[in-house]
Amino acid sequence: MSHQGLSSQTIAVVGGGISGITTALEAAEAGYDVVLLERSPSLGGRVAQLNRYFPKLCHPTCGLEINYQRIKKNRRIKVYTMATVANVAGSRGDFTLTVTLSPRHVKTTCTACGDCAAAAETTVANPFNYGLDQLKAAYLPHEMAFPMRYVVAPQVIGTPEGERIKAACKYDAIDLDEQESSFELKAGAIVWATGWQPYDAGRITPYHYDESPDIVTNVEMERLAAHDGPTKGKILRPSTGEPPKRVALIQCAGSRDYNHLPYCSRICCLASMKHAAYLREQYADVEVDIYYIDIRAHDKLENFYKKLRNDPQVRWIKSKPASIVPGPDGVPLVCGENTLTREIYRTPYDMVVLAVGMQPSTAAGRPAMDVPMDEYGFIVPEGSDGGLMSAGVASGPLDVSMSVQSATAAALKAIQAVSGRARP
Amino acid sequence: MSERKTGVYLCSGCGIGEAVAMDELETVAVKEFKAPHCAQHAMLCGEEGVETIRADLAEGKVNQLVIGACSPRVMTDRFQFDNAQVIRANLRELVSWSHAPGDEDTQAAAADYVRMAITQASKTTAPEPWIEGEYSQRIMVVGGGSTGLMAAREAAEAGHEVLLVERSDRLGGHARGYAKVIPHRPPYRDPQPNDIEALIAAVENDPLITVKTNCHVTKTSGMPGKFQVELANGAGPSNETVGAIVVATGWRPYDPSKLGHLGYGVSPDVVTNVELEKILAAGQPKRPSNGQAPKAVAFIQCAGSRDPDHLPYCSSVCCASSIKQALQLVEADPECSTYIVYDELRTPGVAEEFYRSAQAKGVIFLKGKVKSVGANLTVVVDDALIGEEVPLEGLDMVVLATGMVPNTTIPDLPYENSEYAAAQLQADINPLSPIPVAGYQGEAPAPLPRPADNPPPGAPILNLQYRQGPHIPMLADGFSDSHYICFPYETRRTGIYTCGPVRRPMDMGEAAEDAAGAVMKAVQVVRNAAKGASVHPRSGDLSFPRIGYNTCTKCRRCTVECPFGAIDEDEKEYPVVNPTRCRRCGTCMGACPVRTISFDNYSVEMISSMIKAVEVPDEFEEKPRVLILACENDAYPALDMAGINRHTYSPHVRVIPVRCLGSVSLVWISTALESGYDGIVLMGCKPGDDYQCHFVKGSAMAKERMGKIADTLKSMALETERVAQMEVSIAESHKIGPMIDDYMATIDRIGLSPLKGF
Amino acid sequence: MTATSPTPRKKYDLNFARWVYENVDGGDRMAKCMQCGTCSGSCPIGDQMDYGPRKLFMMIRAGMKEAVLTSNTIWNCVSCYNCVVRCPRQVPVTYILHDLAALAVKEGYAEAKTADNARFAKAFWWSAQKWGRTDERLVTMKYYFSTGIGDGIKKGMANQKIAMAMVKTKRMHLTMPHKVKGTKELQAILAKAHEIEERGNNGQ
Repeated sequence: MSHQGLSSQTIAVVGGGISGITTALEAAEAGYDVVLLERSPSLGGRVAQLNRYFPKLCHPTCGLEINYQRIKKNRRIKVYTMATVANVAGSRGDFTLTVTLSPRHVKTTCTACGDCAAAAETTVANPFNYGLDQLKAAYLPHEMAFPMRYVVAPQVIGTPEGERIKAACKYDAIDLDEQESSFELKAGAIVWATGWQPYDAGRITPYHYDESPDIVTNVEMERLAAHDGPTKGKILRPSTGEPPKRVALIQCAGSRDYNHLPYCSRICCLASMKHAAYLREQYADVEVDIYYIDIRAHDKLENFYKKLRNDPQVRWIKSKPASIVPGPDGVPLVCGENTLTREIYRTPYDMVVLAVGMQPSTAAGRPAMDVPMDEYGFIVPEGSDGGLMSAGVASGPLDVSMSVQSATAAALKAIQAVSGRARP
Repeated sequence: MSERKTGVYLCSGCGIGEAVAMDELETVAVKEFKAPHCAQHAMLCGEEGVETIRADLAEGKVNQLVIGACSPRVMTDRFQFDNAQVIRANLRELVSWSHAPGDEDTQAAAADYVRMAITQASKTTAPEPWIEGEYSQRIMVVGGGSTGLMAAREAAEAGHEVLLVERSDRLGGHARGYAKVIPHRPPYRDPQPNDIEALIAAVENDPLITVKTNCHVTKTSGMPGKFQVELANGAGPSNETVGAIVVATGWRPYDPSKLGHLGYGVSPDVVTNVELEKILAAGQPKRPSNGQAPKAVAFIQCAGSRDPDHLPYCSSVCCASSIKQALQLVEADPECSTYIVYDELRTPGVAEEFYRSAQAKGVIFLKGKVKSVGANLTVVVDDALIGEEVPLEGLDMVVLATGMVPNTTIPDLPYENSEYAAAQLQADINPLSPIPVAGYQGEAPAPLPRPADNPPPGAPILNLQYRQGPHIPMLADGFSDSHYICFPYETRRTGIYTCGPVRRPMDMGEAAEDAAGAVMKAVQVVRNAAKGASVHPRSGDLSFPRIGYNTCTKCRRCTVECPFGAIDEDEKEYPVVNPTRCRRCGTCMGACPVRTISFDNYSVEMISSMIKAVEVPDEFEEKPRVLILACENDAYPALDMAGINRHTYSPHVRVIPVRCLGSVSLVWISTALESGYDGIVLMGCKPGDDYQCHFVKGSAMAKERMGKIADTLKSMALETERVAQMEVSIAESHKIGPMIDDYMATIDRIGLSPLKGF
Repeated sequence: MTATSPTPRKKYDLNFARWVYENVDGGDRMAKCMQCGTCSGSCPIGDQMDYGPRKLFMMIRAGMKEAVLTSNTIWNCVSCYNCVVRCPRQVPVTYILHDLAALAVKEGYAEAKTADNARFAKAFWWSAQKWGRTDERLVTMKYYFSTGIGDGIKKGMANQKIAMAMVKTKRMHLTMPHKVKGTKELQAILAKAHEIEERGNNGQ
């Protein structure tokens, strides 16, 4: 295979969620060197925060475990966590990435024994649970974290507590003085797998998300249903801690909306059906109403939809709710027009779940180079010199299966870029 | 390997040293097992600890390592040494983090894990890969439509030679007849030019690609790196060798003659979307009946799709394709009225822009069910949004948006051995089950009916000369099989990857990407096959099943039960392993009644010896002993995480990770019972339709085999509870401890095994 | 707005819908309505509308001109703009309803003369044009008496208490209203605006 005098055959993958992991593994298992850069302290991205996948209702950690095992056994993959790309220079075959490493304050000698957490007293909002609960200022991101290594939160740096945490570590793994650092990375191809963030529900003002604890988002619902979530997997009404009797699941909270996300986020319909299944699994008498514009259950996912359609306790209301207002006693009232019956409704619920859409991470901060994007911020590198790819939700609103498909394709494009035959 | 010199390294870090007496463990290694070298360290994973081991290896003091420390799932990179096998004894997650420190039962558990690890070390060798003869790096692509063409080009771009086989006389498939295609490039608003001619030219002119038209595959044998393919074209059969196969046989439209209820056949002006493509490609649109320009056209969505009497699934592309066609009609004649009658409008993702673009250009969308289509083309719609029946009158044409039927077979080619082939398909396809909701109160919904022509008739696409049948496995909906959430390209036939609409209904933009994904897997498999290495999920594993023919009874269980069809039978009916098809799950080993299948580093004898290495308390000690055989992908990590969370459970269990529950040999169960264990628990993932087994059928096989064990237990005068199978998912670290404790309570209730001390 | 809109020959004849798209203020954006119901659900008096904007828009597509222009939906809009700010497809619902009401007047639909809001609007316009301001007493009287003298007296009596309270708090005056400065100029401006509107909608 000709290498065309490329100065680097390394593939840099930016983003360590399911797409980045997939691209990295597929390329590495075909014999290429890969550097995987992840912004947060552990890999897995958004899927690690999901309780289960539709339509099999299986656990994302199951597939992640396989992938982590593949990474552990593969010496061609180098993983950097807490790493962001500050700058990119060069072109296909000869990129130089400036990678910034944020301080984790825990060195690789950490054995994950947990003595530091035992010594910590300060608590910080738990990012893994979207801030729904607190964890110690020295923490393991979650039980499946990979790498299995603790993090010391910046809040205790420079405090006596920080010193106590450091002293508690038998393995001298705590580095309170660690500063942000950076290094240069040579790569022949770059795959952007920077994923997505949930759309900020607070911006949908008629839904009053910030005013009622009983109005939650779909990503928060995943944590509420997860055994390692803030309620240990029991879905409870946040304001009272009681089991919910009536729950509304609101589709297109932000998606298909010129005022928010103009595109359809694709996954929300099925994710909400999954939430209906979580609720029905936990509570035999719970009533679930799904408010929707169109149910988008493509291909075999239609089967999952039909199964839920057969559940007499799940009601389907073709309507985009106009507003959600805290009613008497703070009970959220969902208001709107049922488009099939013309009925104007104002229905109280114990809990309302907003199916917020996926917004490309580029909305929060543009990538470190001028990557071609569409009007929504999805990376569409068509027409570039072949050295740039995008994978997964960085490239468009995709579900997990399609993200993996996209990431596998991106791996091929990347190996073509670093070792394929000569091109014009 | 030269003389085995096993070094035992015991780590006292992370609380292990506080929980158990390290010296006693060292005594087990040195006194009981006469380990040539044993050392303790306070932090074995630290630079100094690892350096010690490295130095001992360099000095030749040891050549095989037993590391008694944390779980094998962590510090994997740290405890990786060239030319030395590493066996891990999990003293942290399974012992010190889950049992009371300083307790004699905790000590006993640690000692047993050391015993098991040293025993394992004595029964394992570093795998010697199977590498034999020549390996082909060439990739065969079956199907010369847009997906296949993309696949061929992608493989060539990656530097691989390609053989492209197309059954018709020309390349391009359906796409060749499209004037325009659904947009997949920004701004996603208008039908996009069709690049198919340029793609065909690129493929035909590519020096790495050999194109064979009028050609189909009549036989495929061999394995990844060494597929032998027999092709038929006009000139007679020819033979080719390829390393991997990408199947892109695409789709065909649902048979419109079954859509009489939607007016097909009442008038020549009722056409399918496929027929309309031809009209649009021919230039200015004309009505079939009189050649006039159509002025009012209605599209009926879901014609056959999402209909239990026809195709139960959603064909995904029809909404966008009707939008595209309506826009083409409007573009040709801005006065043309177009109506799209839908139930759910499905333009997911950025295709929403395409929907809005059509609306802005005057395409009218109506939600409702079509009640009738008259001979005068009046379409009566039960309009859900107005709430009354609305007749659409004065239409010139009605277009039925028919769905996609996957070409998982060659429907028009008869297959002489069709009964056998049909049986394979029946065994592959499971009907859909009711919703798995535990608290489900209402009437259980009926399983969804299968489409009428499923399994589809016709000849197999590759006609695999495999023991398990000629077809590429498929799912109940007729699309080819895939582990379709996390690993969509994983199938039950290694080295054969499907892509495009044969795998899932999809449009051309998506199929182009899918083609690249499938080619990635093909590239990977040919490169790994040549090294004797496995592909997903045990990527890089060099071990493979070796069969001891002297004791083989030709019972065929291994050839039937292998989830990947990796084992064939020779003319004398002996099993023949095709190593590069193998995914190393060990289901064959679990199936073999005479224990004659083994891997270099995983065998019936190895695990049996480990089971026997455990010190089982005698009947007077009144301490039960329970063996847990845990799937290493799900149950074992869950146990690890129970430890990480410091959930405690009975210290009387001993856990052995297995590659898959499918690899569990009944011999291990009898060995354990004979050794005086009081109970045996198999922990693995969920079998069935929504299976979570990474080896597809492994846990289902285990369940089936265990189903038969109850009678055996009764015949031995043993309680059936002594052997249990538990479904444990990886996310049940919080449940696994209580599950173990419940089982221990059962053992308490039925009492210790009567076989103790025999 | 052109003099008349086309009358559809049948249901789901696009004649009417296309005319609305092209001639009604904001009609082009109405084409993108996806029938989600946000508008009707947002309407503070949605339950007092026979169809609500969402269904009305579908009826326009269905060519139900008669039903659309005789509907009370086009008259009952109170211009709160809730629907406009919430509409996910940014359809200017309020403008469309008002323009449809104007169309109903122009095309001489009986409802355009009898609908409460139509009569009230006329009274409002009369006062604004005459004095450059709205006078609570005169507008109310004109509105009350627009359905006949007997009816007007009845309505007036029924609301006597409110009227007295308004007088007391100086929210309503018993004297004749003062004209604003430059009433003549205002009237000229309004006439010009009317002329521009007519011309503008004739495609110039």
